[in-house]
Amino acid sequence: MKRGLIAWDKSELPPRAFETRLKRARERLAELDLPALAVYSDLWRSNYGRFYSNLMLYFNRAILLIPRHEQLLALCGLSPRVYPWIKSVTVLQEIVPSPDLSAKLVEVCSQRNWRRIGMIDPKGLPYDLHRALAAQLEIQTVPHESDEWERTMHRRARQMAWDGLNEELPASVGMLDREFVGQLERSLRRAGAEDLAILTTNGDRAPAPPSGQTLHDGFSVSVALEYRGHWTKIAQHHGSADSAIPRAAFLEVLSGALPFEICETPPEGAVVASALETRDGARRYFSGDAFWSTKNSLEPL
Amino acid sequence: MSLHNAAEINPARVNRLTGLMAEQGWDRLLLYGHAWRKDFFRYLLNVNFSGPYAIAALERSGQIRAVVSHPWDMEMLPEDTKVCDLPALTGGSVAVAGLELMDAGLANSLGAAPVSATALMEELRRIKAPEEIQALRRAAALADRGYECFAEIIEPGMAEFELVAEVEAFLKSNGAEDNFMLIASGGTEVTGMKPPTRRRFQPGDQVTTELTPQVDGYYAQICRTLVLGEPSAKQREAFSIFCEAQQAAQDLLRPGIDTADVARVQNDVFREHGYGEYTGAKYTRVRGHNLGLHPDENPYVLEDVHYTVKAGMTMIAHPNTYLPLSGYMVFGDTLLVTPAGCERLTMSEKKLFQK
Repeated sequence: MKRGLIAWDKSELPPRAFETRLKRARERLAELDLPALAVYSDLWRSNYGRFYSNLMLYFNRAILLIPRHEQLLALCGLSPRVYPWIKSVTVLQEIVPSPDLSAKLVEVCSQRNWRRIGMIDPKGLPYDLHRALAAQLEIQTVPHESDEWERTMHRRARQMAWDGLNEELPASVGMLDREFVGQLERSLRRAGAEDLAILTTNGDRAPAPPSGQTLHDGFSVSVALEYRGHWTKIAQHHGSADSAIPRAAFLEVLSGALPFEICETPPEGAVVASALETRDGARRYFSGDAFWSTKNSLEPL
Repeated sequence: MSLHNAAEINPARVNRLTGLMAEQGWDRLLLYGHAWRKDFFRYLLNVNFSGPYAIAALERSGQIRAVVSHPWDMEMLPEDTKVCDLPALTGGSVAVAGLELMDAGLANSLGAAPVSATALMEELRRIKAPEEIQALRRAAALADRGYECFAEIIEPGMAEFELVAEVEAFLKSNGAEDNFMLIASGGTEVTGMKPPTRRRFQPGDQVTTELTPQVDGYYAQICRTLVLGEPSAKQREAFSIFCEAQQAAQDLLRPGIDTADVARVQNDVFREHGYGEYTGAKYTRVRGHNLGLHPDENPYVLEDVHYTVKAGMTMIAHPNTYLPLSGYMVFGDTLLVTPAGCERLTMSEKKLFQK
């Protein structure tokens, strides 16, 4: 997880994007009469932390604290030895070493006499952290708001995934699935992918991690790719499946608290992945793409 | 043979777990995993699921059910594993291995406050069965080959992330399910490893890495340091200290030893050479840790962490730290604790690599 390039390119995500997001968060805090917003982040639950600061942890966990009237700070479980690197890829200026995250957050809040704070998706906190915090602080849920910068980054992730797949897919039949996955990893990580989850199938089952099978004509591949904290998920099959009949489809939220959560009705503003299974006899084909969910429809990213 | 998509339930593990449940008075044991920490789940159901989370549920009778969060994951489960919804797992005395990782919303939906089975499960997992050791041997062999690839491909002008892309491709092509990898490059200004950056390697760079490929669920780790060009006298001096420290740990490691002493003998080497201050938290993290279904398992090898080593444990001893002689340097091998001592599983040459 997240052992590719973690970077902040200010030409694609300018500092004013984060300034605007933090300003909006503080306006929301004012509306709710809350002194601060706490945003949890770890390797897997990284979407919201990335949104407000570009923080992308590769290990351990952290809480971003967005006070209404003070500078943004991060309480971080990682060693201070890597804080210069964290500062180089985020908007963070102040990082507080926090081996015990809940104790440090409670301490910071009590120093400021804050009894009630806001949090995005408190139910998504790890159980131990939620329990420790809920015992000492009143936590109010603050909704997350997406923006166009975020969609633009998801768009880039999607394009990167399609470019890589279109390049590698044509010559893939006859390769072992793991060799094909390795080749895609090389191509996509060299292009700047941060994290990847690639699944394949010869059409006899759903896409799954490689198991040493030779890829046959018509095989399907699913590529989940994270580019600078923004996930996409696409799927494609090799060759034609003209006579295949649609059998199943589902949607996964990519920009929510956890990527790939299945949803019946996508939240407005979310980036979602759509997966479609078709069948031709017993042979199964998979395809999919990423979209932006608007009020009444899914729009192309 | 790869077990990625051919999960088989191991009856011995079921017996160990139901025995633990009987001892503790638990009616049901849930083994929770999410995308980064699948280890508790995979101890019972060795399935590399792709959804956000999955739960394996074991009844005291031995019945196994599973909750999966992605439709594709259902097809990877063993045929006789019943899929159920979360509400079906409530009621009775429920213990959860991995409770601390679980979303609060999910944990709270289990009903009355669930009990954590994490520490007891970690203890149970520490001693590896023969088939687990075989998987660790395969992972260690791949770690060696992965480092060989790393040392062969690296060259001045290449960016850190490009090298990582090549190593990841090599490992995945050769059967790794996953790989935890950190890297650093430069000189004495380097204080720790991190994910790769866009920095391009330069002649004279010292390049450190930690490779941790996962094979059939199990992670083995190797840490090595390479110099692009002729190592300086100070780099050689530093490496000799790291080598001596790692060897001290390897010589000591055997059943009955306190892990605190495994840390102490490594730190003592640095102290004897006048670098004792570089063994603390300001410059380093741990002097090693357990390995298995997670790449960074307890116990951590630290002078203030006491744990009696047992045969069948798999650990890495790595005296990785910053030294003013060299900057941050790493050196470590995966070690299997045997009845009489320990066996090195990663077999890459113990040297300061150069290219």
